[in-house]
This record gives sequence, C-alpha cells and structure tokens, in this order.
Amino acid sequence: MLLRLAGHLSLAIAFLSCVFPLLAEENTPPKISPKHATEMKAGLDLFRSSVGQTLASSCLKCHGGESVKADFDLSTRDKLLASGYVEQGDAANSYLMALLRHDEEPHMPLRAEKLSDEKIAAIAQWIDLGAPYDKPLVDAAKPTAADQDKASDFWSLQPLATIAPSAVTSDWVKSPIDRFVWKKLNEQGITPNPTADRRTLIRRAYFDLLGLPPTPEEVAAFVADQDPEAYGQLIDRLLDSPHYGERWARHWMDVARFAESFGYEQDTDRPHAYHYRDFLIQALNDDLPYDQFVAWQLAGDEIAPQNPLAQMATGFLGAGAFPTQLTEAEFEQARYDELDDVVATTGTAFLGLTIGCARCHDHKFDPITSADYYRMASTFTTTTRSLAELDVPTDAAAKPVTVQVNTEGGKKIPHLADSRGFPHFYTTTHFLTRGDVAQKGEVAEFGFPAVLRDGHPRDYWKAQEVPSESALSYRRTALANWMTDTEAGAGGLLARVIVNRLWHHHFGRGIVATPSDFGVQGDPPSHPALLEWLAVDLIHNGWRLKRMHKQIMTSQTYMQSAAANGEQLAADPQNVLLWRHAPRRLEAEGVRDAMLSVSGQLDRTMFGPGTLDEGMNRRSVYFFIKRSRLIPTMMLFDWPEHLVSIGSRSETTTAPQALSMMNSPHTRSYAESFAAASPSGSVEARITAAYQKAVQRDPTEQELKTAAAFVAAQAERDGSGGEQGALVDLCQALFGLNEFIYID
Amino acid sequence: MYDFQTVQTRRQWLARCGGGAGLLGLATLLQDEGLLAAERGAALNPLAPKQSHFPAKAKRVIWIFVNGGPSQVDTWDYKPGLDKWAGKSLKEFDGTFENTTGFFQHQVGKLMPSPFKFTPRGECGKMVSEIFPKLGEHVDKMAFIHSGYTESNNHSPALFMMNTGMARMGFPGVGSWVTYGLGSENLDLPGFVVMSDPLGRGLPKGSAANWGAAFLPGVYQGTHLRPQGAPIDNLSRPGALSDMGQRAQLDLLKQLNQQHYAQRQAEGELAARIESFELAYRMQTTAPEAIDISQESEQISKLYGIDEKQCGHFAKQCLVARRMIERGVRFVQIYSGGMENQRSWDGHIDIEGNHRQFAGETDQPIAALLTDLAQRGLLDETLVIWCGEFGRLPIAQTGEKPGRDHNPHCFSAWMAGGGVQGGVSYGESDEVGYKAAIDKVHVNDLHATILHLLGLDHEKLTYKYNGRRFRLTDVAGEVLHPILA
Repeated sequence: MLLRLAGHLSLAIAFLSCVFPLLAEENTPPKISPKHATEMKAGLDLFRSSVGQTLASSCLKCHGGESVKADFDLSTRDKLLASGYVEQGDAANSYLMALLRHDEEPHMPLRAEKLSDEKIAAIAQWIDLGAPYDKPLVDAAKPTAADQDKASDFWSLQPLATIAPSAVTSDWVKSPIDRFVWKKLNEQGITPNPTADRRTLIRRAYFDLLGLPPTPEEVAAFVADQDPEAYGQLIDRLLDSPHYGERWARHWMDVARFAESFGYEQDTDRPHAYHYRDFLIQALNDDLPYDQFVAWQLAGDEIAPQNPLAQMATGFLGAGAFPTQLTEAEFEQARYDELDDVVATTGTAFLGLTIGCARCHDHKFDPITSADYYRMASTFTTTTRSLAELDVPTDAAAKPVTVQVNTEGGKKIPHLADSRGFPHFYTTTHFLTRGDVAQKGEVAEFGFPAVLRDGHPRDYWKAQEVPSESALSYRRTALANWMTDTEAGAGGLLARVIVNRLWHHHFGRGIVATPSDFGVQGDPPSHPALLEWLAVDLIHNGWRLKRMHKQIMTSQTYMQSAAANGEQLAADPQNVLLWRHAPRRLEAEGVRDAMLSVSGQLDRTMFGPGTLDEGMNRRSVYFFIKRSRLIPTMMLFDWPEHLVSIGSRSETTTAPQALSMMNSPHTRSYAESFAAASPSGSVEARITAAYQKAVQRDPTEQELKTAAAFVAAQAERDGSGGEQGALVDLCQALFGLNEFIYID
Repeated sequence: MYDFQTVQTRRQWLARCGGGAGLLGLATLLQDEGLLAAERGAALNPLAPKQSHFPAKAKRVIWIFVNGGPSQVDTWDYKPGLDKWAGKSLKEFDGTFENTTGFFQHQVGKLMPSPFKFTPRGECGKMVSEIFPKLGEHVDKMAFIHSGYTESNNHSPALFMMNTGMARMGFPGVGSWVTYGLGSENLDLPGFVVMSDPLGRGLPKGSAANWGAAFLPGVYQGTHLRPQGAPIDNLSRPGALSDMGQRAQLDLLKQLNQQHYAQRQAEGELAARIESFELAYRMQTTAPEAIDISQESEQISKLYGIDEKQCGHFAKQCLVARRMIERGVRFVQIYSGGMENQRSWDGHIDIEGNHRQFAGETDQPIAALLTDLAQRGLLDETLVIWCGEFGRLPIAQTGEKPGRDHNPHCFSAWMAGGGVQGGVSYGESDEVGYKAAIDKVHVNDLHATILHLLGLDHEKLTYKYNGRRFRLTDVAGEVLHPILA
C-alpha cells in the first residue's frame, strides 16, 4: 500500500495519537502479534484435538449447520470472526465466552448442559491464539453429495402430502382449517378467541376482499340479518363484486414488480402496459383457475393466442426496469440483466424460490445450481417486450387497441439505441461465470431445476400441439406445463406458495412468514399440515381462488375477535398459533380509497389508462406507475418502488404520514366533501352520522360529548367557517383515527 | 394485563450487548425470543438512533455528489506525464484501449494535457487545479483517492453503482443503509436528505432511484428537498385552520385515539401512531426552521457566497446541509449539476468551459462549508465526501472545443472530516490518468470505508430480502485503513 504523507502531517498524527490514544487504537486494524505464526499453529493443534469437535457437536447445529440462529455462524473462521461474538486473540472480551460461562443470557448451549470447564477453557485459549480453523466445519460453497440429498429432502420441494385434519372435539371448531389450528393451540394450552361481533366481521371482510369500507346501511343490514348463513352469503357477495379484482390485482402487482415505465435514464413511459393490470383485475374477477392464471402470464401468447386476455397476461414478463440509454459495450450485459429480472421474478412470484441467487454461483442454501438458473433463463432467450393490436375486453371501445405483450417475433418496442444496432435479444443464452458476459461458457439449453422434475427429461413437459410454422418456440409453454404439473413438476410448490399468499393477506402473516421465500433461508411453516391441506384442497377444487378465500374466511380461525389477554400474549406473543385475528393496518391504497369512499368522492370507473394526478378520484390501483415519479402519498405509506418482486410490504409509522393526514390538500378536500355530505340536523346527529360512515359504528357517549364540545369550540375559534367549518375539522380528525386504518 | 417487566429487562440486556452482537443479531434474538410484535415495533422505532457496531468519530455525512463525472486530470490528479504524451493516441500508451470505453466512438481524439494550471497548495503541498482556488486552502483536511474505478461507463448505471453499490436499479443507497444502520439523531427531521440542482437543469440520471430505499423499509428513503416551491410536502396547515385550530383538532384526535388504545394496550403500533401526530406537529416548525438560511449572520452568508451570482444557489444548499447536520440529520447528499452534457460536470463539449463553470459554482460554497463545520467543531464528527459517478478520459473528445468522454477505469475523490486523515493521497493512476494503477479502489471499497468511518462493519450491515442477506458492498469491499486518522 502506498501512502504519501507530507512531513508535517506525520508529526500532527503523532500528536493526535497522544491526545486520543483510545480512538486511534479503535480505528486501526487488529494488531498482529510478533508471535503470530507460532500462536496460530498452537491454536490449530488445539482446534484439531478438541475445540473443533466441541463446536461441531455442541454449537454447529444451530449456528451454521442446519440453521443460523442470532446471526452467529461458526461454520467457517471468517463467519465466526465476522459475527462479532468473538474478538480474535482476546477471549476475555469475546461475548461468546460470557454466554458459554453463563455470565450472560441466553446461556449457551441453549437448553442443554453447560460445557465442562475444560472445554470452556480450551475454547478461550483457542480464541486467545487467534481462533484458527484447519478447515471449515461446513463447506457451504460446495455442498457434499450427502448435503445435496439432504437439501432435496427439504419440505417445500416434496410432492404434496394428503393430510387429513385431526379429529378434535371443540365447539370452537367450524371448518377443517380450525381442526389444524385448534390442535396446535390445544397442545400449548392456549385458548383462542370467540367469534368477533358482526360489525367487526363485515368491516374485516370488506377491507380484506374489496379494500373498501362497507356503508352504514350494509353494516346495519348485516347486523340485523338473523339468517345463520348471512355471513357466508356476505362473503359470496363480496367475491362477486368487481372491486374484489381491483383489490387482489394490486397484491399481485407487487409480486410482479409491475410498473409502466422503463426506469433508468429517461424512464420512458410504457403507455400500453396497463393492460396487464386490467388482465389481473378481470382474471381475478372471472375466477380464472390459478394454474391457468400462471400459465397465461408465462406463455399466454402460445397457449391461447386468440384470447386477448391471455395475450395481456404476458405483460408479466416485461414489467421490469430496463436501461433506456446503452453503449455498444453494454448491449449484451443489459440483455442478461433483463433475463435475470425475468428469471428472478418468475422464481419468487410463482414458486417462492430465489432462483435469482444462482446467477453467479450455485445457490448457497437451496438446491438450485447455477446451471439450473441459466437453463431457466434460456427459456426466455428470444422473448421480448412487443406491441400487439388486440380487441381488449376490458376497454370500453371494442376496436383493436395497442397492448404491450411479451412474445417471440412480435413488433419490437423502439429503443434509443436501435440506431446503433441494439439487437434487443440474442439467439442463444450462454452459461456465464459469475454472471459476466465476458466469461461465456457453453450454450445453455432451456430446462427445469433438477430438484423439481422427479427425474423426468425436459421434453416430458413439451407443448403438445405446436403449429408447423410459427415464430414461437413453445419453450415457455413447456415452462408453464412444468410449473403447473402437480405430479412430477413444480405444481405442488406452486399451490403451496399461492395459498400462503392468500393466507398472508388475510391474516397479516403467512403460514410461511416469508411468502416469497420457501427455501432454506425462508421461515419454516408454522402449520405445515394445514399448508399441505390447503394446497391440496386448492388443486382438488380446480385451482379456484375465490373458493379458497371463502374456505379461509368462513373458518373460526379467521372469524375470531382481535382481543388479546395476558395469558395468550405471554404464551404466544406474535400470535403465530393464531389464537386471535390480529389487527391490521391498511396499505397505502386502502387508506386513500377508504377516505375517498367515506367522503363520497370515489369514482368507481374500472380499467383503462392510469394517471399520475394525485387529485384523481378513482381507486389507487389506477395510478400510473412511473418509476421516477412514484405517487408521493402512496410512497409515504410504504408503497413499493416497483423495481423488484415484493411479497410482503414493510409497514412503517412515521411523522410524514401524519403530516399528510393533517395538511395534504387532498386529505383536506376529502374531509370537506365528507362534511358537506353530512345530513342536516343537530350537531349530535351529524357527528353520529359521520362516525357511522367513517368507522361504521355509533360514537360512544363519551366520544359524542368530546366531539360535540370540539365542534362548538372550534366554530368559535376559527370563526369564519362556523359549525360547517368545524365539522370539516372533525371529519378530518376521523380520518386520523387509528380505528380508521387499523382493522380489527 | 401483559407483563411488560420481562420486555423491559430484555431490552436492557439488548442495550448492553447491542454493540457486540450487532443490530441484526439483536433483531433475530428478539424474534427468536418471540417478543410481541407491537413491542418490537415500539422498541425498534425504525428511525430511533442505534448503536454503531464499534465506536467511531464520524456521526454524519455530507456527500457532495459531483454529478456527471468530473475529470480527474483536470481537478485533483496532477498528471505532468500528459505533457509528455500530448498528441499521441491512447492506444499507443495503453494497448488495451479499444475505443469502446467512452460514449462517442467517432470523436476519439489524442491525449490532451489539462487546460488548467496546477500549483502546490496547503502544508502538504498537494498539486491542485486552478479551478479550485478556495478549496485548495483546505487540502490539509482532505484524504484524496486517485485510484477509484467503477463498472459502468454510462451515467445512470454508474450513478446507481456509486450510490447503491450495484449498477442496476433497485438497491438501497449509502444514505439509506447508513440511516438503517444508525437511525437518526433528530426525529423531527428526515434522517436522509437529498438536494438536487435548483437551476432547472434536471435531476441526476436515474433520478429518485438514486436515493430510494429499494427493499429496505420506506422510512429509510432519501427525502428530496424540492428545489422549487415547498421543499417538503404537507408542511403547512390547511388555509382554513389556525395554529390554535389545528392544535385543538390534534388534541381531539389524540383524546379519541387514546380512548381506543386504552382497550388495546397490547398493540404498540397504536401508541406509536398517536406519537407520530405529535412529531408531525413539531415538524411543521422544525423543518422550515432547519432550511431557513435567513437566520444566518451576514458574515456566514458572505463566507458561503449566498449573494454571488455564480455560486449563490449551491451556497444555499451547502448552508442548508450544515444546518441539517447541526440538527442531527444523518446523511445529506447535494448533487452539483443536473442531467447530462453541459447541465452537469459531463464535459463532453468544452471540458475547460464546463469544469470552470461547475468548479466556479461550487468552489467557494464547499470551502465555506469546511471552514464553517470546522469552526463549529462539527467537522470532526462530519464526514464530507466529494465524489462523482466516474472519471473522464485523458484524451480529447474532438469537436469545436475539446471535451472529455466518460471513463469508468479511473476517478478521483476526496473525503474530509470525521475520522479521515488530512493532507494524504491514496492510490495512483497511471502516467496519464487513464486507469487506476496502484492500490486500486473499487466502489465497494469506498463504501466499506464510509461505513467503517461511521462505525459500521460493511459485512455486518445486512438486510434479508427474498432469501438473501443483502449488503451495500455485495460480496466485496476492503476498508482503506491508511486514510483513517
């Protein structure tokens, strides 16, 4: 290393290090002892003779072997030192020693006998000697044959098992789902909640299925309905509502990283991309079987070329970002990046498999090889974003409109680099070393991951009826066949992932809490048998999602109240075992759509081009998603950036969100409309009506008193608006109620 | 009711071991211990200040993003060798040059010495281009890097690379990572603030994706102060409401929300949201105050050059940056220049005129910022970075007035303040400044060093998303220990 230092400066540094010896020391790399080599050798001997074995037998299983708890991984020396638990050469200051000596909690090894004093002393001595390894305890980079066998034993990669719900006798149990849930709760001695009251149920169902609140009239009618079937009928009604598709399409748009612009330099618009969003809405409303829903998104142009909806579905493949400005040197890398986006999104969206991780090397945790990755990428080699003229069923006018599709041999979308010979695609896809186009290997033939094809060759899934002359290669059809094949292909995993996504949105947490990662790094299922049962049930009933919604929503597990008592919280604080229906915060769309709906301003026009105008009154799913100009209010409430597949949005609570409720001209205008629509009558009657609209209940006596006092005082204070002005302020405050956006 | 005592104890324990075990270890432990989600939310307010991995001097960062790609050989990397090679082809100097490095393949000129005069400055005698008369006075505070290199020769991928460590869209930037790692010291202001060109020359290429949070929670995204109009959304009350009126409205809301919360003590998020309205109310005062430079003395205005025609706009942004830093904002990024060509440091046409202009816009304000931070005792805790997305070729881009084309193989940058040595230079480019030659510094290394200066271990600052633990430095990154104080 070369460091040019001016003479004066070294003096200054010498001076500084006298004044701040501590800081100087902390900022320098670990000192290397002059006896380094001897010490390391002694340490190695110690590791070989005893310490290595102690770590392997007492610690490795949870810390680098089968899992990595608490970010402490001792499978290799680098990981051990990087963990922060061990200070190289300094056992006294190593946190690990405090845990092993039981000076600090959690005492280690966890729930096992304390290590003998000799063993602890040996580990301490070994750390003092620099903690050397002769070889890693687990070779993560190159799994041994035994490991690979083990990895393919991994639960999510197994064929679906038919599991009958256990026979339980309890009044609480209403449906097969409840049998699975009750069994686990009962084992832990946790008492689940009773059914929620009717107002809570209808509110929950409306927001879950439509993303909109019920009207006071709908609530009153449901509460008054004595029919025991009333709740089931309500679910049917909501599933029939066209708003259902709008609500659930939005969930899928997150997963599909859907946006309507290229991103990068110019972020050029994709004005014909919205048809993909309209496909989602229509397909969900039509209850298109999920296997078909998936197949069309991968290969609708091949499978059902005459059906405009199937063509629109292929928008999935081309929804990712792509550079608008390219130099010649970047053409090929950009294409491989694009294929990567398609493979990675396809893997996570449908299969919860992080195939994208295998671009540069075999997957570090899951049994996906780099070869698997390039074979899948090869499926899309000649597929590009294209424009087609279609009679679109979701557009008002029946004449053909331009639709952005993805196909082979289609009409390409112009690119700025076309004049310099940008080819859009290459005829072959190669295996690359470390994902680098400068390091090409053989041509990669398309194919499917070895762990999910039950020993069958690729052609087992090839398209059956292929026209003799076609620009289409039907590789994507084969991919779709494989993906939806529940016997020999990935269909079992496909079913598990989608029922879990539904569960995630109904309960706020999936049975697998990482809905886009069903791999080794993801969370294991909290109720594995239930997940199997749901997946099998979905397949046996024709992959119908609406039926699955009802199946879930008519369970006692879903219908129970949100209450929580100390015993339940102490036993299962995160509600993993589902002893209650935990309250949920509305997403960005839900917050805005609810305000529009309550204020009477909601424009229910469906489909068609979106807009960037925040002042529009249509549902939020109709915002135009431009990557460089994401809608500010949506972003405040954790809207995704629409660049990568998102299975679970983050949920933050911030002051800028509150500012938008307090000061945004849009919120204020909703409040004004809300107040303007308020019936004439006494202040108390008007407040009661506002409460009914906003939170679908009457105010309590105390709330009514507080609110009425506020209106009177506010009318005095901000005089010019009088009572009406004060009512606007009140209506705006109702939007700010936690009850408005947290749904029990 | 739920026994909060256990939570309290656990939290105390975590506070004690937080530094050693690492923040993520902490989060994992919390999860393993099965703590109530609500409690976790409250305990780990996403912006609350967090312990660094190890003690460090730098607490905050101001990154002057020299947008468009400043030419190293015309700014800080003095290359007398260029005189010797003047007029020769770059291919002759370096056989690997294939004319594909740059953008304008039909305008490849010969090796061209800098049009600017270099003179030794400061105690350390650093050779500095004449376009930085004032910054030259501060070289003894700066650690120069002359061997930087990156992976793309195109603006937006290179901007993404410099900001996020990846040349593709969709990854969190340094500012987001730092705010995620350290939280913010002032909850009444955003933790990560971005300022862009106020003269209508546009946003940097790739725009908001340069400061987006990507897969990190949205709370860590950069807040872009709008260069025109109201800088932050929703800071002023609706016209119909007086301050008292709004206060009364919020008091009502608080009262109603507290009655609701009283029945639901287990839901920590509800309490956090009640508090967020109080924070928001305060922000209405604190945020405008933080950006109100009219409160500064005449002497300070003069120092920065607020009233100077050429640099006034940038001076204001530098002064706002200092006010933000003073108030505990964690990360401030100021972009000098807007989009490509003559709208930023992207000197394809007339490198001399271009760099004279943009140096002229920034020289005095950045120098003033360093002086001002130092005189307030803030420089020790503030890391100031001067760096763009790539460098430029030492050959001319031919045209009426010679320019210089993009060069990913070499760039210069400097850092000053919090924890870096002053008056030192790290690494060297080749004889003509075409490629980084000695002690090469990849963008990952630069990022690792920035995080290290803030007390964050770049290998430990990770976030799990779709099956992988991501970090700013991907799978690489070496801290540049020799420039650390």
